[in-house]
Amino acid sequence: MARRALIVGSGIGDRIADGLDGWEIERAPGGSGPLELVVWANYPASSTQPAPLVDLSLEDWRERCDSPLRDAIDLARDTHGRLAAGSGTIVFLVPLMASAGGDHFAALAALGEGARILAKSLAKTWGGDGITAHAVTLDPHAFLDPADAARIATANALHDAPLGRVPSDTLDVAPIIDWLSTEPAAPWTGGSLIVDGGLWMPG
Amino acid sequence: MTGLLDGKVAIVTGAGQGVGEGIARALAQAGATVVIAARRAENGEPAAEAIRARSQKASFVCCDVTSESDVAAAIDHAVSQHGRLDIVVHNAVSPPGPPAPIQDVDPAIIEAQIATSTGAAFLLAREAYPYLAANHGSFLLLTSPAGIEGSGNLPVYATVKAAQRGLLKSLAREWGPDGIRVNALAPVAWTPALLTATEANPTLLTRLEARTSLGHIGDPETDIGPVAVFLASDMARHMTGQTLAVDGGRYLGL
Repeated sequence: MARRALIVGSGIGDRIADGLDGWEIERAPGGSGPLELVVWANYPASSTQPAPLVDLSLEDWRERCDSPLRDAIDLARDTHGRLAAGSGTIVFLVPLMASAGGDHFAALAALGEGARILAKSLAKTWGGDGITAHAVTLDPHAFLDPADAARIATANALHDAPLGRVPSDTLDVAPIIDWLSTEPAAPWTGGSLIVDGGLWMPG
Repeated sequence: MTGLLDGKVAIVTGAGQGVGEGIARALAQAGATVVIAARRAENGEPAAEAIRARSQKASFVCCDVTSESDVAAAIDHAVSQHGRLDIVVHNAVSPPGPPAPIQDVDPAIIEAQIATSTGAAFLLAREAYPYLAANHGSFLLLTSPAGIEGSGNLPVYATVKAAQRGLLKSLAREWGPDGIRVNALAPVAWTPALLTATEANPTLLTRLEARTSLGHIGDPETDIGPVAVFLASDMARHMTGQTLAVDGGRYLGL
C-alpha cells in the first residue's frame, strides 16, 4: 500500500511532489486518514518578489509574511491527528535567506525562519505522539527568479558551492525528504538540514 | 555607561513594565532621551515619570504597536518632541497564554502574537527608517532563546520570535549601506508574567535557575539593559545582524 503524503504549496512543492516516487500525494489540506508525511512550502508568489521593506504596505507585509505564517501554524494544528495516526513526519521547506538574511526579501526571510523554528517546537511536543518534525533549508534558486537567486547567493556566500551545482529539487531534495520519513530516520527529530550544495556553511 | 548615549533619542515599545521598562531605564541612564511607548497609560506614564525623577529625560506616548496609525504617531512624537530618532527597541509582546501544544493554542492568541511580533516590527522599521538612516541609527528587536531553539511549551511564541530573527538578518543586509545597524537580544529576565508564573508554580523558578549557568534570572535594568545600551551605542558600530543571548548562560547553542 502506498504511503500517503500531503504537500502544501506550489512551485517548490510541485517539484518535490514530482520526486516522491511511490507515494499517494494530496496537494491540499482537508483530507482524512493517516499521513506519513506533510511538507509545507506555501510561500506566496509575492513573497518571492524583491522589494525594499520601506516600500511595503501593511497589507503587503501581511500577505507576504503574517498570513502564510499563520497558514503554516494552522497546517500543523490541522494535521496533528493524521500525522499521529500515521507516525508521520512534518517537513518545512525554508529559503536560505531565513538563516542568512537577504536584502529586499525581509518578509520571505521572516516567514521562513518562523517556519524553521516551528519545526523544532513541534519536534519537542509531538515526539510522544510518534511524530517527527524537521526543517530543510534550500538554495535561493528553489524559491526565487534565477537572477535574484544568483544575487542573493553571491551576497550571502563566502565561497562557491563546492559541489559546483544547484541541487535539483526533484532529484536531490525530494529523496532526502522521503528518507526523513523512513524508519532509519525515526530516532531523529527537530533537525535543521541545509541542502544547498555546500553554498553556505554556518558555524 | 553614563554618557554613552548622550544626545541620542530612543523609543522603546512595551516599556511600561518588565524588560522594556528596564531597557528604557538603562538607555536613559546612559544619556539617551527615551520615549516610553506603551499601550496603557497607567503603566507607561509612571515608567516615564520614574526616569524623570532620576533627572533623566523621558516622555510617554500611548501606542498599540499593531495599529499603523499609533506606530506612525509614536515615531512622530519622538521626532517632534525630541528633535530626532536614533534608536528603536521593539520589545512589546502579546501574552503567549498558558503552556500548550500547538493544536491546543487559542486562535486569538496566535493572531495577536503574529501581529505584535512581526507585523509591529515591520511597522516600526518602516516608519523609523528615514530617521535612522539620517542618524546612522540602531534598530533592536527583543527576541527570545525560544526563537532560536524552539519551544514545546510556547510553540507560537517561539515561531514569531524566530520570524523576528529572519527579519533582522535581512534588514541588516538591506540597511547596512545606510549605516543602520539591526540586532536582537534574546533575554531571560524577570517580567510580570514570569513573576506570576513562578508564584503560581514555585518549582518553576528552581528549574529555571538550575538550567542557568549563572544561577539566577536576569534583572531587566541591570542585566539586560546594559547589553541593549551597548548594542545601541557606537561601541557596537561594527555589529549588525546579530542576536545576543542575555540569559545567564542558559542557551549555549550559538
